[in-house]
Formats: sequence, structure tokens, C-alpha cells
Amino acid sequence: MDERRSISRRKLLHTLAGTGVIAAADLAWWDAPYIGPRKAWGAEPVRFQWSVPEPTRIALINSLVERFNQSQKDFAVQVEYVPQAQARQKLISSIAGGNPPDLCQVWDNWVGQFNGMGAVEDITARAKSWKHFADVAPTAWQTVTISDKIISLPLSVTLDGIYYRTDRLKELGLKEPTPDWTWDEFLSLAKAFTKADKNQYGYGMRGSGTWALLYPSEFAYANGAEVLKDGKVTINSKEAIDAVAWYVDLALKHKVTPPSAATDGFVEIVETFGRGVTSMYQHNSGSAGQQKKNVGAGNFATLPLPIGPANKRASFWFSETLTMFKGARNKEGAWQFMSFMLEEEPSLKYCATLGLLPARKSILEKPEFAKDPAQAGFVNSFPIGIVSPYLAYPGWGGKIDSDGVPLIQQAILGKISAKECLDRFADILKKEMS
Amino acid sequence: MTTLSVAKSRTRPLISWRVRKLLIGYSYLVPAALCLLATVVVPIILAIKMSLYADVLYKPQDYRFIGLGNYVRLVQDPVFWLTLWNSVVWVFGSVILQFVFGFAAALLLQQAFRGRALVRTLTLLPWIIPGVVVGLIWQWLYQPNYGVINDLLIRAGWMQERIAWLSSPDFAMGAVVFTNVWRGIPFFAIMLLAGLQAVPDELYEAAHVDGAGVLARFWHITLPLLRPIIVVATATRIIWTFNYADLIFVMTGGGPANATQITSTYTLLQAYSSLDFGYAGALSVVLLLVMLAFTTVYLRVTKGVEET
Amino acid sequence: MTRRHASSDLAERLLRGPVVRIGLILLTAFALGPFIWMLLTSLKDRQELYATPLQYLPVRPTLENYIDAWTSPVTPFSRFFLNSLWVCSVTMVATTAVSVLAGYAIARFRFAGRDALLLIFLATQMFPSVLLIAPLLTQWRALGLIDTYQALIYSNFSFTVPFTVWMMVGYFSSIPRDLEESAMIDGCGHFGALCRIVLPLAAPGIAATAIFAFVVSWSELLFAISFTTETNMRTLSAGLLYMVGQYEVQWGPLSAGVILSTVPVAVLFSFLQRHLIHGLTAGAVKG
Repeated sequence: MDERRSISRRKLLHTLAGTGVIAAADLAWWDAPYIGPRKAWGAEPVRFQWSVPEPTRIALINSLVERFNQSQKDFAVQVEYVPQAQARQKLISSIAGGNPPDLCQVWDNWVGQFNGMGAVEDITARAKSWKHFADVAPTAWQTVTISDKIISLPLSVTLDGIYYRTDRLKELGLKEPTPDWTWDEFLSLAKAFTKADKNQYGYGMRGSGTWALLYPSEFAYANGAEVLKDGKVTINSKEAIDAVAWYVDLALKHKVTPPSAATDGFVEIVETFGRGVTSMYQHNSGSAGQQKKNVGAGNFATLPLPIGPANKRASFWFSETLTMFKGARNKEGAWQFMSFMLEEEPSLKYCATLGLLPARKSILEKPEFAKDPAQAGFVNSFPIGIVSPYLAYPGWGGKIDSDGVPLIQQAILGKISAKECLDRFADILKKEMS
Repeated sequence: MTTLSVAKSRTRPLISWRVRKLLIGYSYLVPAALCLLATVVVPIILAIKMSLYADVLYKPQDYRFIGLGNYVRLVQDPVFWLTLWNSVVWVFGSVILQFVFGFAAALLLQQAFRGRALVRTLTLLPWIIPGVVVGLIWQWLYQPNYGVINDLLIRAGWMQERIAWLSSPDFAMGAVVFTNVWRGIPFFAIMLLAGLQAVPDELYEAAHVDGAGVLARFWHITLPLLRPIIVVATATRIIWTFNYADLIFVMTGGGPANATQITSTYTLLQAYSSLDFGYAGALSVVLLLVMLAFTTVYLRVTKGVEET
Repeated sequence: MTRRHASSDLAERLLRGPVVRIGLILLTAFALGPFIWMLLTSLKDRQELYATPLQYLPVRPTLENYIDAWTSPVTPFSRFFLNSLWVCSVTMVATTAVSVLAGYAIARFRFAGRDALLLIFLATQMFPSVLLIAPLLTQWRALGLIDTYQALIYSNFSFTVPFTVWMMVGYFSSIPRDLEESAMIDGCGHFGALCRIVLPLAAPGIAATAIFAFVVSWSELLFAISFTTETNMRTLSAGLLYMVGQYEVQWGPLSAGVILSTVPVAVLFSFLQRHLIHGLTAGAVKG
């Protein structure tokens, strides 16, 4: 190691610095992108942000976008894939920066906040004059309607049900539950499934993410409670407290939940079921396709939520939407693509590949959905579906995440009682009701 | 060690020597200053402005100047004080352990042995992966039902029951600190290793001849000469860790029940879940002030980067 | 490289021998453990990944995860790789150049506001980068720099420059002044003294700084996702996140991607670590 060699290396570094800085200023290195739709000459670009990229969906969306681009010459859709953890941040930043994409795929609970920011385009007129307007289920329209204005197009709809292992049922010689099962039957099934020494648990409770609070809310509805009644927050009514106390007892008293429940998000509850650690879990139809791969199509089935002591039950509707922004530069192109995605073939291909339920009734009646046991529980839940009451105020979504979820986590861990959890949650909701 | 006094006779230059030195010094700084001005200083000023307004994105009609309103709310917010305490535990727990083990690693890597290049490279690896991915991987490792850690511990017979590391309020902070230590040791190892190279051998030899043992040589020679680098490394690391939300965000989301919620993850939540940019701005400004205060004191106490 | 004389000090003999060996083994095992797990995972197919009880060694090792990741048109790792390589190399070189100059100036010259300036450099790190996104996004959009390498490189400066300046100040401070002063007495100017005397002595520090600038920008994620929209402009870190699906993390491809992304940095480091050796100051200080 001598000084002369080190100095020449220094010189090399300096030259590199020089060329590096210059080259950075001059771009155009690679010509055509590896992927991405070919732009037709004169076609106006439509910027579309997709927020759940992963290889299956990317390939699917790419092919749908290609088909749209090739089917007409006026518009060319360009997709931007943003990993979902960053998708929301990026959308908010671009809206705040005054330059949102033309349209994006988001969930209905995000749309309320974007609408509150004044960022979403009102498409009531376009939707009502659309030829398939009547074909979309009214509840699906409800999830995207705020103050009588339609602000998104529902791409697929879903609601919550219970997944359970049919093979384990047979192994343990248990009775097959019926779609009209009750809380007691649910509990005894969960207990029968639980074998802690073999690392098997009955119910994969969800402790993290917005839905950690929505699932017990659905159970509260089964006990006759409501979130909002006559415009007042009633989530801490006696019926609700009893219901949530029963729910957290699943973890605390009956111990039918795995030890990780308090921080399990949707990825975890899907994976633990997929690996056979849990034998039941609550989720929407979105993970059905995943479980066919994980567990095997013949080894699980779905059911509506169990009927509660008040002889009622409810399941919250939830839709994946295509939303156009007010700041969009190409609104006509965005609308063309949105309505294309809801045509029969694209909608069928999209929903069937991913295990989602199409928003249009005529497509829903096709055997791919109506006859699939993995979807049966959800299709049977349609009569009990209601629009999530938490969509009522735009401020609620964020508060559920930041303040509500820690509360339910504490309840699941037994640190606070169900009453205290719901009382404090009700206060939070009341404050955001402006 | 005699110093020759620079007492050359000069003709009077146009610009005095001192001013020229100043100008040269400042001109060396210009590139760095430019970089920072555009990318950091301006946004910080914007954020300070943001914190003085009621700025909830989905309530644009309520947007107005409220002066210190966000700060008053901050002082009264119990979650904020909890996050501040968590931040202290997170930062000092991580950095102290990283420093101690990193130093040990640097000393080890300084020895001559075969395959030293390979071992040094392997030691760097934890630092290379993006924080989000580190979080995902370790979350998987910590998984109570199918994670490697529980599996190995149970197979080795050291544990009977499965512990939910990240879901239990008692273990969650320890678990994320452990991951942070794993990730941060290479930083100290490499920095201190580079610093150790500048210590001249003769000093060790002289001390050895004078009869000083290994520990004495370490204490009286190595540590003092490395002081500037130790201060730099620990100061930057403390600040980064304070601000570093990725690991905790991915592994526990600040849970369970705020057990691992640190101020920077809380700020993230306020900004992107509650869309309350005014409050988020106030939180970041307060965090900035806390760190400034700490750093000033720290530098004064350790005598900063003054030359040895 | 001068060797210490063989000594009869017990502590020294202990430290030199078994303690070092055990220490190195522990260190390597600790750093490497999760990587070995990732490597094993990347060689498993889907069935083995989901097997219970936990399976460690792949019974049917397969390279399909690597091949899929590298050649897949939807997540072109080869492209992500090149993007990262370019952005991080330029960041490393530019940052090192800038920080060497600034670090030298701050370490050697006493001028008004020196301490305050140091503190300001450090203070810029004290701000959560997430909140920088919105204003930076507006800035880059106004300059037309979205989906360009420049936006990423300049944004990387926001966190590489402050700490590299600090690092260089530290390293320069630990080099005795006398050497430059004797060189200047012998007739070099400041810049000459910098190039001929100080830089070679600070080589370990500069190497460490360069490595850090590269590594830190290699693992940077947030800016890469925020300032690019096209998939083929994404960096490796952003590309890894494509493996995190809606309902599952694709552990096979993700592990393959992680292993792939560590290779270039490891290679770069194995070249630069040659500078981290002892003895450059040997004999330089008289008396």
C-alpha cells in the first residue's frame, strides 16, 4: 500500500465525480421502457395510480390496460404502481402538491377523506347516464355516495364473513355449521378447533389496522347495537359493551385466539389461517383466492357472520373503487377507462382472478361467483350487508387508525375493560362529528 | 514535539491572509450548503409555517392561523409524553448497545487474520437492506407461531411456551430494540474501524515499552484519539434513531396499545392517517427543538470535534 | 505494517488468541443469521415455504425465485438494479467530494459561526423525512424532475451530505495539523497540502464515508417511491416492496430480491475496505 497508488485512486475518484455530475444532468439513457403501454400517436395520456401492486395484480392490470389502449385511439392509460404502504402517503402528497393522478384505485374509506379535502371529482351526472347504472347494486352505490353525490365507481364489492377449515372439521368429527349459526355455535366450534399444544387456534382475531375495530363492531350489531342512532353516537350502548366484552373474552377467557392477536393485521390473519395455525378467521372475500393457494380449494369454506343474542346480524359493505380527481387533466379519458373496467369481460376477469365480487349484479350471478363455496358465505351475506357506519364522517377514518385501534388492542390484552374502550372511542367519534 | 512558528516575512498581499483564509474556508463549504438549502432547509421552514395553522386536510374550510394552538394541544396530549419517553428508551437503548458491540466488532476486525476481508464484508450486511424490509424480515422471525426465533428456542428447550414478542407490551420494545441493534452495529464497526487506523503504532509501542498493559493502552491512547469520531458517530446515530420510524412502523405499527409508539411514528400517524398536518408540523418542530437542545449539550460535554 | 513485539502480558495473549476467535465467530453468526435464513428461503418453492412444522433446509432447492425476480416483466429486477446502481454511485461520488471539501474547511479553519454551522448540518437530520415529501414533490414537479435520476440523486443529498460532512470533520480532526503545516512551510498551498498530505492520511475515513453514502442511498426507499411513477424508474428498494402483496408477503421472491440487492454493495465494500488498514501515519510524526 503505497502513497502513489492511493493518490491515483484519488484522481480517479475526482474524475468520476466530474463525469458523474455531468452525466446526471443529461438523462435519456435507456430509450424505451421495458414495460409500459405503447403510446399511440396523438393519444392523450391518462395517469392511473394502482395501490396494491404485486405480481398477479400487476400482470392483470397491465393486460387490462393494454386491451383498453388497443381498443381505442383517443386515450392511453399509464399505470403507476405504488407499494401499498406508501400509496396513501403518495396520494396525499400529490393532492397537497396540486398534482394528483387522473384516477386511482382506492378503498371506499379513503375516498371520504379525499372528498373532504375537496380533491374528488363529482361523477353523479356521468354515472347516472351510464348504461350500467341500474345494474350495480344499490348498496354498492351507497358506499361511494356522500351527500347524494356519487364520487367513485365501485370496481368490486365485498363484505365480511367467516372462513373455516372443512378438512379440520371432518378430522375432528365436528358438525358442519349452517349459515344461520349462532354465537354459541361459533364459540363451541372455536373451542373445539383450539389445540394450543399443537399450535392450533380456533379464531384468528385481528388486532391491528382499521378493521380490528370494525369486526367487533359487526358483532355489536348482532347484539342489537348501532354505531349511530338518530344522529347520535351509540357505540357505547349497553348492547355494544356486552357484545365487545364477549368478543374480547374470546382472547382473554376462552383463549381461542393465537398469542399474536393484538398486533395481527390482515396479512397476518390470512397467513396464520393459510399455515393452519388458525382454523377460522373473519375477513372479506378478498383473501379467498389467496387461501385457495395456501390451504387448497377444497379444504375451506365460508359462512356469514353468526347470529347474535338479539337475533340479528350485520356485515359491513366494503368496496374497491376507481376514483377520479378534481385536479385530473384528462377527465374524459379517465371516465372511459373507468367504464371499461366495469364492462362484462374486464370485470369478470378482474374479479374472478382475484376472488373478489363484481359490483354489477348481472356479472355476480355468473357461476364463477354464485357456485363457488369459497364465495358462498359472502353471497349469502348480501341480505345482511349494510354500508359501514364509520363512513359517515370523513374525520372518523383517521381517528379509528390513530386512536381507536390502540384502544381495542388494550381491550384484547385485557388492560382496559370493554366499557372503558367503547366509552373512550365514543368520545373520539363525537369530537370528529363536525 | 516542537512546532515551527510560521514567521516568514511577506509582502503585504491585497487581501489580508486572514480574510483569504476565511474566504477559502467558506468557498469549500458552498457546495454542501447549496445541497442542503434546496433539499432540507426550505421544507423545514415550510413545516414550521404549517405548524402555526389549523391544517386538517379534509377540513379545508377550517384552515386558519392559530399561532401556538397546536403546541398547546401537544403539551396537553398524554400520548405525546408517552411517545417522548418511548423515544428515549428506543434511542438510548439502541445506540448504547450498538456502540458497545460495534466498538468490540471494530477492535476484532482490526486484527490480522485470514479471511479478514470476507468477515468485514459480512459484518456490513445488516446495514444494506432498506429499513422497511428489515422490519418485514424480523417481523417474520419474531412471529410466535411460525417464526424462526420461537421455533429454535423451543427446539433448544430454552422456552416452553411461545412468546408473542411483538404483541406483548412487555417484550415489544425490547424486540424492536434488538432488531435495531442488529441493524446498527455495522455502522459503528466500520466508522470506528476507520478511526482506529489513524492511531499511530508508535504511540502503542511507546506505551508498551513504558509498561502499560492492554487496558491501559486502550483507555489512555485509543479512546482519547478516537474521541472526535466517537462523538460524531454517536451524535448522528442518536439523531437518526430518534427520527427513524420505519422499523417500528412496519413491525408493530406503534403498538400494542402505543407500547412502541415513538414521537416520529406518532407524527407519521397524525400526518397520513388523521391528515392533521398542522399538528404533525408542531410535533416535528418540537422534536427538532428537543434534539437540538440535546445535541448542543452533548457536544459541549464531550467537547465535540475539537482536535485532540 | 509494524507488528507489536510478542509480549508476556497475560491479558494480551488471551485477547489475541481465543477471545478474538470467539468474538469473530459470534459477530459473524449474529450479523449473518437472518441472511442465512433469507438464503434458505429464497431457494424454497411455495409448498416448502408454507410447510408446518417449520422446514429449514430446502428438500428441493430451486432457483425459480431468482429467475422470476430477474426476468419478470412486471417486476424487472434487472432494471431496478441498474437504476439503483447508477443513482447510488453518483450520490456516493458527489457526496464524498462535497463532504471532503466541507469537512476539511470546518476541521481546519477557525471562522465565525463554525460551531453553529456544524449544528445546522446536524439539525437538518433532525427532521422526519416523511414531512419533507410534500414540499420536495412540489419542487421537483415544478422543475420537471419527476421520473428522473436527478430528483433521486439530489434528494439523497439531503441525508448523505450532513452526516458525511460530520464524519469527515471527525476524521480530519484526528489527523495532527503538524503535517500540513510542515508541508506548507515547504511551499505547498492549502489545496496542495490537502491533496498531497491530508487526503492519503484520511483515506480510511474517506473510504468509510464513501461506503456509507453508497449504502445509505442504496437502502433509501421513501424518496424513490415518491419521486418516480414509472415502474422502470424504480430502484431496487422500491422493487422489493412489490413483493409485499395485499394479503401475503411473497417470501420466496422477496428473499431472492434481498440477496440480489446485497451483492453489489458487498462487492463494492470488499474493494473499498482495503483502505481500512493501519499504518498510514506510521513514521509520519517525528519525535
